[in-house]
Amino acid sequence: MIANYGYIGLFLIAVILFTLLMVTIPIALRFLRIVPDNPNPVKNSIFECGMETIGKTWVQFNFHYYFYVLIFLALDVLVIFLYPWAVSLRQLGISGLITILILITIIFVGYIYAWRKKVLEWK
Amino acid sequence: MNLALFIPELTLAVFALLVILLDLFTEQKRLLVQVSVSGLVISAGVTLAMWGESFPAIFNNMLAVDNFALFFKLLLLGVAFLVILASISYTQKFARFQGEYYALVLLSTLGMMLMAATTDLIAIYIALELTSLSLYALVGFLKDSKSTESSLKYLLLGAIASVVLLYGMALIFGFTGQTQLGEIARVIQAMSPQTILSFPALTLGLVMLITGFGFKIAAVPFQMWVPDVYEGAPTPITAYLSVASKAAGFALILRVFFSAFGLPEWLSLNWGIIFAFLAVIGMTLGNIAAIPQTNIKRMLGYSSIAQAGYLLVGMAAMGFSPVVDILGRSSIIFFLTSYALTNMGAFIAIIAISNKLDSDLIDDYTGIGKRAPLVALALTLCLVSLIGMPPAAGFMAKFYIFSAAVRSNLLWLVIIAVINSVISAYYYLRVVNVMWLGKAASEEKISSPGTLRLGLVLSCLGVLLLGIIPGFAMLLAEFAARIFVF
Repeated sequence: MIANYGYIGLFLIAVILFTLLMVTIPIALRFLRIVPDNPNPVKNSIFECGMETIGKTWVQFNFHYYFYVLIFLALDVLVIFLYPWAVSLRQLGISGLITILILITIIFVGYIYAWRKKVLEWK
Repeated sequence: MNLALFIPELTLAVFALLVILLDLFTEQKRLLVQVSVSGLVISAGVTLAMWGESFPAIFNNMLAVDNFALFFKLLLLGVAFLVILASISYTQKFARFQGEYYALVLLSTLGMMLMAATTDLIAIYIALELTSLSLYALVGFLKDSKSTESSLKYLLLGAIASVVLLYGMALIFGFTGQTQLGEIARVIQAMSPQTILSFPALTLGLVMLITGFGFKIAAVPFQMWVPDVYEGAPTPITAYLSVASKAAGFALILRVFFSAFGLPEWLSLNWGIIFAFLAVIGMTLGNIAAIPQTNIKRMLGYSSIAQAGYLLVGMAAMGFSPVVDILGRSSIIFFLTSYALTNMGAFIAIIAISNKLDSDLIDDYTGIGKRAPLVALALTLCLVSLIGMPPAAGFMAKFYIFSAAVRSNLLWLVIIAVINSVISAYYYLRVVNVMWLGKAASEEKISSPGTLRLGLVLSCLGVLLLGIIPGFAMLLAEFAARIFVF
């Protein structure tokens, strides 16, 4: 029992040593003047897709996104259930088909609800 | 897979979806009530047709279709019917979301019906969440600050209780390697006591299960949400919470502890003593805290905490007596039935009175006996039943539970419970006193709509019937108490 924890301890030590090593390598190379040191503004900026950043990250999102996220979530869950069903389509047979149809019906009712409550209209 | 045995639940799900769709396409909101009620009636009819026969469990032993489950399904459907009756006049307050209201009531009833039938830890969790999520939304339906606050409190505390419950389930699964209750029982019974005692995981898991379920039934260390939520929620939903949620929670506790942890007798003694202590602090704290309350919904909230304490006396009796003794279980079932009728009656009377007064304060109930004599009479009957005085149902319910406890050598617990009943008489009778002997501020009569009167008559008749001829109901309860273990 305790021996198993010993393995975890070994891994922990290895991880810490590896991290320290990876951090010290560039510092050591810089110290030995192997790496050249000529900074410029683009180099010093926070790396983001190679593009210059525009504005700040504190952007206000439209409130409507919240409804879309909710609908997206429902459909996402539907997809999660559709995948395993589609993979073993033949073994599950007709009862699997009926079950998945019930699930789709339930999600579809939610979709109609959102549509009638004018959630899908962008104002 | 036998879908025919799943028809009561399926009917309810279909009708809930139907209510949502109808609400979108019709302006006549009366239709929604009719559709929801017909869904409940069809579901109850199918359940009633299945009563008395023995069926195999369905969905790989995840759902039991035994008399125990069928009885609770009927009880919950009946309560949901009364709640919908009580809601018809109340829903005028929020004309915009009627369809959602009825659909959520149906969906949470579906969840509670599943709670009474599940025999698998995972299915238990799903049923609990289906119930809770609908109830969180229903509690916040009034959209004023109190209602929203209570909904948020309920949601946060409920989520924590769910987490604790899941952790307990994980420990029990880790200890036994099974999630099905019968399989868990088999694994535990095959182990020697020394093996079980050398790992605290099972005991810890049991304590966490009790915590999670205790939140649902408002047992005392986990009762923090009760007064606020009961006060803030729409009154029909308060009634629904105090009755159906508690009944379903007790159905779940009964089944889990009977079928999974019932048999090695030293184990059942262990959880029996936990329930005994929960009962003592529940009864005492609930009754003492109810005394200074000025809001009647809040007072009934504390009273329901105390009633959960009396019910836990029955659980303790079940743990202390051999599993073959059926009185512990059947007395809990009888108590739940009588409590459901009584509390529904009390809350319907409160809705009838508060609709006109627009206040839940006990002081404003002064002289109601003259302004609305029949409603006040019904409320008096229900409060008398909650004290546990004859001829109301509450007397017989307490009598059965206490005699079960005495039979399991728990005399000390019964003495504490009786003392508590005497304390509780004070705050229940204070309301009666205010209603009949106080001088009314105005002489104007209070009239109540027909649906409320129907609900009130039904529940009061039930209270009187159970109180005067309890033998038949007790036979039913004994029949329902035969839980099958798979």
